[in-house]
Amino acid sequence: MHIPGIETWIAAFLTLAAMSFLYKDNPFFRFAESLFAGISLGYFIGITLNQTLVPNLIQPLHQDFAQNWDLLVPGLLGVLLYMRYVPKIGWISRYALSIYVAYYIGLDFTRRIHGEVLPQLARAIVPLTQFDSHTIFYSLIFALGVFSVLIYFFFSKEQDAVTRRVARLGIWFLMISFGAAFGFTVMGRVALLIGRLNFLILDWIYPMVGLG
Amino acid sequence: MNLEFGRLALVLLFAIIPVVGIALGINSPGLRARIPLLVAFFAGAIPIISLYVPKKFLSGPTGMSPRLDQWLIIVYAFAILLGVVNVLQNSTRKIARRESGWPFSIVLLVGLFATGGAGIYGAVSRHGITSLPDGTATPFKWIQDQFFQPLQSTIFALLAFFMASAAFRAFRARNTEATILLFAGGLVMAGRVPLLEFLAAPFPPLQPAAAGASQALGKLTEWIMDTPNGAAQSGIIIGAALGASSMAIRVILGIERGYLGLGRGE
Amino acid sequence: MANVLDKLLSLDRRWIFLLVLLCVGTPIVLPIGLPVATTGSTRAAFDYIEALKPGDYVWISFDYGPSSAPENDPMAEAILRQCFAKKIRVIVCAFYPLGGLGLATNSLAKVTAQFPNVRYGEDYVNLGYKDGAAAAMRRLGENIAEAFPADVNGTSLTQIPIMKGVRSIRQVQLVVSVATGVIGEYWITQVHSQIGTPIIIGPTAVAAPKYYAYLNAGQLVGMLGGMKGAAEYEKLLSARYPDMARFYQTTRGFTATKGMDGQTVIHAVIILFILIGNIAYMSRRAAQKKGA
Repeated sequence: MHIPGIETWIAAFLTLAAMSFLYKDNPFFRFAESLFAGISLGYFIGITLNQTLVPNLIQPLHQDFAQNWDLLVPGLLGVLLYMRYVPKIGWISRYALSIYVAYYIGLDFTRRIHGEVLPQLARAIVPLTQFDSHTIFYSLIFALGVFSVLIYFFFSKEQDAVTRRVARLGIWFLMISFGAAFGFTVMGRVALLIGRLNFLILDWIYPMVGLG
Repeated sequence: MNLEFGRLALVLLFAIIPVVGIALGINSPGLRARIPLLVAFFAGAIPIISLYVPKKFLSGPTGMSPRLDQWLIIVYAFAILLGVVNVLQNSTRKIARRESGWPFSIVLLVGLFATGGAGIYGAVSRHGITSLPDGTATPFKWIQDQFFQPLQSTIFALLAFFMASAAFRAFRARNTEATILLFAGGLVMAGRVPLLEFLAAPFPPLQPAAAGASQALGKLTEWIMDTPNGAAQSGIIIGAALGASSMAIRVILGIERGYLGLGRGE
Repeated sequence: MANVLDKLLSLDRRWIFLLVLLCVGTPIVLPIGLPVATTGSTRAAFDYIEALKPGDYVWISFDYGPSSAPENDPMAEAILRQCFAKKIRVIVCAFYPLGGLGLATNSLAKVTAQFPNVRYGEDYVNLGYKDGAAAAMRRLGENIAEAFPADVNGTSLTQIPIMKGVRSIRQVQLVVSVATGVIGEYWITQVHSQIGTPIIIGPTAVAAPKYYAYLNAGQLVGMLGGMKGAAEYEKLLSARYPDMARFYQTTRGFTATKGMDGQTVIHAVIILFILIGNIAYMSRRAAQKKGA
C-alpha cells in the first residue's frame, strides 16, 4: 500500500467535488465550478500570451523591427477591441471588430463553398447507368436523402402537396441521423465518465488499498 | 524598413483609414458606423478575391492576403481574451455589492489570477508554459495538469448521468418521427459495442450465434451511418453552408450590421 | 404491472445516477475483456499510415481538450506509436485553445518515453498552440513559419533539423486531426479542399456522425469514431506490431479497449431504460384510451 502523491489527492478532491452535484447543489460543487471558470480564463491568458502574442507579435517586433514594423497595426487593433468597455469611446472598437469579423467571415465563405457545398453536391449527384444493389442501397438512397433534406430546409416558398411529401421523407432521414447521433452521443459522454472513474479507481483508490 | 506594396496597402486600409475615421467620428456621429463598414468590406473581400486572382500584390508571397492572415492571427489572440474583462467586471461588482454567492467570485478571481499570473511569468521569464530547463513542469503546466484537466474532464463527465436520466424519463415514441429516431438510436447503440457477445457471455452455447449476429448488426450500423445518416448530414452541411455563405456576403457588403451593435438604418 | 412501471418512472433520478456509476465502475474493477470489431473507416486510416515510408512527414494536430481526452488521447497515442515504429517524422501542433497544448505535450512525453531512440527536433517536433486556426491554416499552405515562427519552447524553426525538409504543408504526406468541434472541419474544408493534403480525422463520438458525410465525399482517407474508433485502432496496432501489445494489456492506465467494457454495459442499460420508459408510456396511453 502506498499513499498517492499530493497531485493525485488534489485531482481526486476536485473530481469528487464536481461529482457531488449529482446528489445536490452544494458549496463544494460551487467551489469547484468557480475555480474551473477562473482557471479556464487564466489558461486563455497564459496560452495566447506565450503561444501567439510572444512568438508572432512581440518577438518579431523586438528582433527585426524594420522587417516587421507593420505588426504594430494588428497589435493596436487588438487593443482597440477593448475600448468597448470604456463607455464614452466604445464606438471606436467597431473598427477592430469589423475587421476581425469580416475577415473570418470571408475565410468562412471560401471554406464553405470549396470545402462543403461543391464536394457534398458532387457526392450526391450519381450516374444511374446501372441499377445494381450497390447503386440502389448506397447511391440512390444517398441521393434521395440529400435532396429530400434540402427540400425540407427550403423555407423561402410555401410547400405544395409534392414538396410536402418529399420534405416528410427528408424529415425521416433527419430522424435516422439524429437517432444515430444520439447513439454516438451516449458513447461520447459515457467515455468521459469512464476516464474519470478510471482515474479515481486505478490511480487513487487502488494504491491506497494496496492494489496498485 | 520593409515597404512592400502589400504591407503599405494593408496599413492604408486598416490603420490610416480607421484613424481618419476615428478623427472624423469624434465630431460626426453618423460616420461612426459608415467607415467601419467600408473597412469591413476590404477585410472580407481580400481573402476571397486573393483565392481567385493570382496577382502578386494580392496573393503573392509579399502580397496583401498572406500578411493579412498573419495580422488576424494576432487580432484573434486579443479577441479571445475579451471575455476575461467581462468576467472581471461582473465578479468585482458581485464582491463589492456582497451579492448572493460572492465568496465564489473570490474563488474565481483567485483561479484566474493564479493561472494567468503563471502564464505571464512563463512569458516574462522566457521559460514558456510547458517545462523548465531542468525538465520539471512550469507553474502554468502544474496548474493545468492538477487543476484544469481534472475539473474540465469531470464537469463534462456529469453529462453521462443526465443523459441516462433523460433516456429513462423523456425519450418517448410519441409519433412516427420520434419512433424512427429511437429505433435508429437503439440500433446504433447496440451495433457500436459488442452488446450481443456481452449478453451471451453467461451462455457458452449461444456465443457463436451471438458473435455472428453482432457482426451483422455492426454492418447494419455502418450502413446506417454511411447512407441515411451520411445523406442527412450532407444535406444539413450543404444547407448550412449556403446559409452561412449568404450571411458572409451580407456582412461583407454591409447589409448585416448587427455584429457592430447597429440596428436597421443605422 | 402499470403501477410498477409508474413507480419506476417516478424514481428519484439519484438512483439512476447510482446505477450508471455502478454500471460504468464495475467493469473497471472486474474487466470483462469483450472483443472489439474493426470497421472500414478505421482500417482505411490505419492502412494509409502503414503505406507511408520512413522519412515521410505526418502532421498531427491536437484539436481537443480534457473534455474529450478519454476518447481522443488513445487515438493520438496509437497514431504516434505507429508513426514512430515506422520512422515517420511527426510534426505536432494544437489549435484547440482550452487544453490542446497540454494534452499534446503529455501524449508526446508518454509515447516518446516508450521509444528511446526517437529524438526531439530530428524525429518529431512540437510547434505548440496557435490562435486563429483558419488564418493559420491558410499560411501553412505557403509557409509554415509565417504561422508558427517557433516551436513550443520558442526555438526558431530555422534551428530545428526536422523542419528543414518541409517549408509548407504541401510537403507533408498526411494530416491527422484528433478533434472535438469545428477545427477538424477546418482541416478538411480549408487545407484538403484548397491544397489537397490527405486528412485523417479522429473525432469525438458526438462529432463523428457529421464526419461520415465528409468520408463519403472522399474528403477524408480515414476516420476513427470516438472511443470505439480508438479501441479499433489499438487492436489493429497490436496485431500489426505485437511488441506494442504490452501497452494495451496493462492493468493500470487507461486504454480505449478497456473502456469498451463499460461502454457495452451502459449501452445495454440505457437501451433497457428507453424500453421500460416507452412500455410504461404505451400502457398509460392505452389505459387512457380505454377510459375515454
